[in-house]
Amino acid sequence: MDIAVKLQGITKRFDAFTANDRIDLSVRRGEIHAIIGENGAGKTTLMNVLFGLLQPDEGTISVNGKPLVVTSPAVAIAEGLGMVHQHFKLVPSLTVADNIFLGMEIRKRGLIDRKAQIEQARTLSRKFGLNVDPAERVAGLSVGIEQRIEILKVLARNARIIILDEPTAVLTPQESRDLFATLRSFVEDGMTVIFISHHLEEVMAVSDTITVLRDGRVVATRGKSELSKRELVRMMVGRDVSFDRRPRSPGSGRAVLSVSDLWARDDRRLPALKAVNLSVSAGEIVGIAGVAGNGQTELAEVLSGLRPASHGSALLHGKELLEHSPAEIRARGLAHVPGDRLARGVDGNATLSANMLMGRQRKQPYSRRGLIDWRAVDRETKALMQRFDIRARGPRDLASSLSGGNIQKVVLAREFTAGGDFLLIDQPTRGVDIGAQEAIHSEIMRQRADDKAILLISTQLDELAALADRILVMFEGRIMGEIDGAAMDEESIGLMMAGIDPVAAAEV
Amino acid sequence: MEILATFFNVGLVVATIRTTTPILLVALGGSFTTKAGIFNIGLEGQMLIAAFFAVIGSIWTGSSFGGMLIGVAAALAFALVYAVLVVSFRANEVVVGLALNILAGGMTISLMKAIFGTRGSVVGRGIVGLPKVQLPGARDILGPSYAQLISGYTPLVYVAFLSVPLLVLFYARTRLGLYLRVVGEKPEAAETLGISIARVRYIASLLCGLFAGLAGAHMSLGYITMFTENMSSGRGFMAVAILIFSAGDPLKVLLGCLLFGFADAFSLRLQILNFPSYLILAVPYAVALLALFALSWRTRPKLIRETLETMRNALAGKPQDSGGKLPSDNRP
Repeated sequence: MDIAVKLQGITKRFDAFTANDRIDLSVRRGEIHAIIGENGAGKTTLMNVLFGLLQPDEGTISVNGKPLVVTSPAVAIAEGLGMVHQHFKLVPSLTVADNIFLGMEIRKRGLIDRKAQIEQARTLSRKFGLNVDPAERVAGLSVGIEQRIEILKVLARNARIIILDEPTAVLTPQESRDLFATLRSFVEDGMTVIFISHHLEEVMAVSDTITVLRDGRVVATRGKSELSKRELVRMMVGRDVSFDRRPRSPGSGRAVLSVSDLWARDDRRLPALKAVNLSVSAGEIVGIAGVAGNGQTELAEVLSGLRPASHGSALLHGKELLEHSPAEIRARGLAHVPGDRLARGVDGNATLSANMLMGRQRKQPYSRRGLIDWRAVDRETKALMQRFDIRARGPRDLASSLSGGNIQKVVLAREFTAGGDFLLIDQPTRGVDIGAQEAIHSEIMRQRADDKAILLISTQLDELAALADRILVMFEGRIMGEIDGAAMDEESIGLMMAGIDPVAAAEV
Repeated sequence: MEILATFFNVGLVVATIRTTTPILLVALGGSFTTKAGIFNIGLEGQMLIAAFFAVIGSIWTGSSFGGMLIGVAAALAFALVYAVLVVSFRANEVVVGLALNILAGGMTISLMKAIFGTRGSVVGRGIVGLPKVQLPGARDILGPSYAQLISGYTPLVYVAFLSVPLLVLFYARTRLGLYLRVVGEKPEAAETLGISIARVRYIASLLCGLFAGLAGAHMSLGYITMFTENMSSGRGFMAVAILIFSAGDPLKVLLGCLLFGFADAFSLRLQILNFPSYLILAVPYAVALLALFALSWRTRPKLIRETLETMRNALAGKPQDSGGKLPSDNRP
């Protein structure tokens, strides 16, 4: 078999964290090889190692049968590799042709020969069927065209093995289809395509071979025909779901949040939430399951006032919360544990006390006559550190000096003691060690026992199985269905996460 | 009409060209750093130190050219220190720039005291000024009164104005010019393509020092041959303002500098009318700032524009723009 790229035993560590753990990968020439896995599974790291942007701690790389130490992208490019990054690296004020030839300008008498560059860019674009106008400025072009330019950049450097990192993440469905057609024509030309994705649909649609990564390891490499979507989901999300369910007693059942026909757009202005209906009662944990990137983030942002909804309503205690500022929603009872704790949960450069104070800086006893009483804040912070088992030297430590689990506990401590009775909790244990996970779960259960209404967004099925009373599964912005937390079965959740209605599937 | 004629005449144009030169030189220097993505607030200091060392150099070497070289060398030294701190050690560019400005101010004063034993200014003492270039044939073609428009300036005036088209060409057509722009606009792009950001920024800093040095030499060896305390008098800062509004674009830099130069030349004329001198000294700065404000008004941030629009609509009682809130909008 003709192997274009072979990785053996690739290990890459970042301090204590192992992003790639002894990864083996062989990519045949002339195939589209998809590398799929959840965010943080190590896909991009692996490709950066292959392309020379990162140096592996262990393992070997060979390209076209030749062992290679890829010390820099230049080495990779010389071997015919090309990479299209997830975030485009184009210069907006330059023309398409300038961008394509940047770093390898065509010059005549010391000056850049614009005409020749445009001519060659045009030839290239015709040859590969990537329609662009080389004389146009990049600023203002659509992302679909920007991606074509990135691909042309790679082709202009004579790449025969093309790596694409999440190429469809920014594309519309139509643009994605065009891209896949282009990739198909590449492999028909004898080129090799490696593409990274966490979208099942497109992986199943376009690739020949699929490698699944999870937690930095290869779960499996299979031909597409040997795989079903369901198997893929299980391999991606993986981690045998433990049904270590927390004991509970029924809550009061008083309705707290009710969302009906909610629509919203994502940052690309594409629909991210489609007709979402859900309700959460006091003393109940409603879980939201789904592969990351199916609208969960947008749902949390809309409910916390950080993202405008396009349509629909969300009632908190019977009053509309859409169109209100985060502060107003909080004042009405929202406590929010954001999914990205470092971006939205804490200020890493502030002390624990300052982080605890946020949102209550005008309240007694922290503020008196308009001045903050830091001694009172420190006292309260110390009490919370004890209660939530936050491991730090003291309240004046910087938040960024704590471990991920402890930072998360700081967020929980602040939010759970803010007096809100609707808790919106997004990925509470992402990147948190087992011990802290246990503690966080216990605290969430304690809040449930206090008759709080809890909406828990998680991509970890075991977490939902342990905590949630009801689980709603999201797929491409829709709620696919609801499952009783106590009777959760992996099978039907897996189907719904892949966008298949289990009832319909059973009937077939 | 009489009075207008004493204001607006060939002499005013000539004076404008003369007063524009130092700020044009220093702003063109700053254009390199601006394009390369460095907010260089140290122009003032580089210019001042060059002005001082140009005077010293011309006394030592006995030639104006030697003075200019030594002035430029001093500015380059400052530019190098700036680059080392900002590019290599990633220090804050504003802090470093300010520190070097203050250093230049203090250093020139104490060196003046140490070398010349005076405070305030250095005059005479064998300072050789830059020669005036008489273009052959100018008098024949334009006649005696208009020949002074193009002839009889110091060489640096020609250097300054000829640099403008050269810089346009530099940014548009040369590889280094292109890389400077890329490094300033999208450093990640430069990095992935193997362009060394640090090297490009060093080059930009040193080119900036070169031009700031010429600007300084022109100040102390050009039309007046002397050095006075703080003689750059904020021109470096005005250059920074012009650079912010022009984004380092050479033609826009030229426009901004001409405006400042004109206001400067004009204010000198105003002195005839016995206005209080402190008001007159403020004129060029006020005019330049007002003009820059007017220029930027058109490109004022979208946010302000949209806010004003919404407020106008609200006042007029018009319904708000529903911006995609139609129920049908989102449905597939």
